[in-house]
Amino acid sequence: MSSSWTLGRRVLAASATLALLIAIGFAILFLATSSLQDATSRERRSKDVTVATLALEKNVLDLDAGVRGFVVSGKPRLLAPWNRAGRELPTRIRVLQRLVRDDPAETRRVRGIVALVRAYQSDYAEPTIALARTFPAVVRTPLVASEGERRVDAIRKRFDALVSVETRRAAASAASARHQTRRAIAVALVGFGASTFLILLFGVYLARAVARPVREVAGGATRLAAGDLSARMTGSGPGEVGALMAAFNTMATSLEQNRAELESQYERLRRSDQLKSELVSMVAHEFRTPLTSILGFTNVMRKRTLSEEQRAQYLAIVEEQARRLSALIDDFLDVQRIEDGRLELKHELVDVGKLLREEARSFEVQTAQHSLELDLPDEALPVYGDSSRLLQVLGNLISNAIKYSPEGGEVQLVGARRDDTVYVGVRDHGVGIPVELQDRIFTKFFRGDANARGIAGTGLGLALARDIVEAHGGRMGFSSVLNRGSTFWVELPTADRAEPAQ
Amino acid sequence: MTRKRILICDDEEPMRQLLRVILDGAYEFDEAADGPAALDLARRFRPDLVILDIMLPGTGGLAVLEQLRADPELAATPVVILTAWPQMEEEAAAAGANGFFMKPFEPDAMTAAVEELLEA
Repeated sequence: MSSSWTLGRRVLAASATLALLIAIGFAILFLATSSLQDATSRERRSKDVTVATLALEKNVLDLDAGVRGFVVSGKPRLLAPWNRAGRELPTRIRVLQRLVRDDPAETRRVRGIVALVRAYQSDYAEPTIALARTFPAVVRTPLVASEGERRVDAIRKRFDALVSVETRRAAASAASARHQTRRAIAVALVGFGASTFLILLFGVYLARAVARPVREVAGGATRLAAGDLSARMTGSGPGEVGALMAAFNTMATSLEQNRAELESQYERLRRSDQLKSELVSMVAHEFRTPLTSILGFTNVMRKRTLSEEQRAQYLAIVEEQARRLSALIDDFLDVQRIEDGRLELKHELVDVGKLLREEARSFEVQTAQHSLELDLPDEALPVYGDSSRLLQVLGNLISNAIKYSPEGGEVQLVGARRDDTVYVGVRDHGVGIPVELQDRIFTKFFRGDANARGIAGTGLGLALARDIVEAHGGRMGFSSVLNRGSTFWVELPTADRAEPAQ
Repeated sequence: MTRKRILICDDEEPMRQLLRVILDGAYEFDEAADGPAALDLARRFRPDLVILDIMLPGTGGLAVLEQLRADPELAATPVVILTAWPQMEEEAAAAGANGFFMKPFEPDAMTAAVEELLEA
C-alpha cells in the first residue's frame, strides 16, 4: 500500500478485499453443494430405475408363472398371476419409461425390453393359453415349455443388463457425491480459515496502525497537560494517524517555543529589575560618599578649634567633594541631554596632546600606586571640538585605568597622529573585562562585575565618553584580556580634515 | 599605657582622613585602601579595632570581615562597618560586625561607639 493512502482508504480497501474473498469462498461452497445435489439426485434416479426395472421383471415373471401353471394344471384358477400381472404391466412400463425419458440409450433399451415382453405376450403366451383351453395336451410339451423359458431368459438378460448399468451409475454417482462432499468441506474449511486469518490480520493492522499511535498521542497529551513540553511522537503512522502525530509534534514544539520565549522575557524583566535596584543602590552610594566627607569635615570645623592650616586643608577637601557631587549630577544630566539629543558642543581648535598632559598631571597626584607613562609626539594633535568634554572623556579613561588596576602599576597614555585621525590609547595592566561582558561595556549603568570587585561607579562614564566622542565625529573602542588588562582607544578627525567652525 | 591601635580601611583618602580627625589623636592608626592590604595590616599589627568599608577594591569589606573572623588571633577583634551602600546592616551583623554606620554618619556617635567597643 502506498504510504500516501489515507487511513480511510486503507480500511476501505482492506474491508473490500476481505468481503471479496469471503464472497468467493461462498460461491465455491455453493457450487460444491449444488454439484453434490446433482450427484445425489443422479444416484436416487439410478435406484428408482433399478427398482422400477425389478418391479417390471417381477411382473414378467408373474406373467410367465401364470402361463406355465395354467398349461401344466389346466386349472383356470392358476391363471390369476397372469391376469393380475397383465393388468399391472402397462403401469409398470410407463413408470420405467418416464424414469429413463431423459436418457436416449436407456429409452432404447427399455423399448427393446417392452417389445420383447409384448412379443412374449402376443406371440407365445396368448396363443399358448388359447390352445391350452381347447387342446391342453398340445401345449403340454417340452417344446412349448422351452420356448417360453427361452423367451423369458432373453427378457431377463435384458433386465440384468439394464440393472447392472444403473447399479454402476448409482455407484459412480455415490462416489462423485462423496468426492463433492469432501471437496465442499475442504473448501469451507480453507475459506473460513483464510477469512479468520485475514480478519485477525486486519484487526492486528488496525490495532498497530490506529490504536497504538492514538494511545501514544493520548499519552503525549497527558504529559503535555502535566507540563512536560518536551513530549514528542517518535513513530509514524499511516494517513490521518501520521498527520495527527505530526500535528501533535508541531503543537508541542510551538508550546515549548512559546514557553521558552516567556521564560526568557521573564528573565530579562527580572534582570532589568535587579539592575534597577542595583542602580538605585549605586547612585545612593555615589552621592553619600562625597556627602560624608563634606558633612564630616564641616562638623569638625564647626565644633573644634583648628589651626589656619587645618581649616584650609579641610575646606579644600569639602570643596573637592562638593565638586565631585556636582560633577555626578552633571553626568546624570548629560545622560539626559544626550538621550534627548540636546548635548551642546563648543567648536574650537583643541590640542589633544595638551589635554592628555594636563589630565595625566592631575591624576598623578591622586594615586601613589600607579605610574602614568606618557607617550606623545612633539607636534600638536589638533582637533575641532569641546575641550572640557574631551577632557571629561580622557579623565574617564584614565580614572577607569586606575580604578580597574587595584594592584597599582603602570598606566600608559599614548597620543599619536595616524593619517587623518588623532589617536589616543589608555592602557592598563589591571583586571580586564570578561569576554561575555565585553559587548555591554558601553551600555548605560552597566558595570560588569565591578560591584563584585568592590569598584565604585555609576556605570555612566564609558557610555557618556563614547557619546561625546561620536558627537565629535570620532570612534571609540577597546581590547581587553581578563586578568591582563585593557586598552581603551579614541580616534578623532584631525582639525585639518574636519570642518572648521561653523 | 600604650595607645590603642585602630585599622581604618576605606578606598577614599578623604574618608580615612576624616576618621583620623574625628577620633582625635588618642589612637594609633593603620590605613588600608583595599581588602588585601587591610588583611595584611590586621595580621601584622593586631589592631584593637577595625573600621571597615564594604565597597573595597580587591577583596570586599564583608569578605575581609569573614576572613578576620576565621583567623583565631583576630576573631575577637571588634569590627565597625562603615558603608554608603544601602541595606547592608543585616548582612554585616551576620558576617560578625560589632557596629554598623551608614555614610554619612554622626561623628559623636562614631567616637562613642569606638570608645565603648575598646573598653569592653
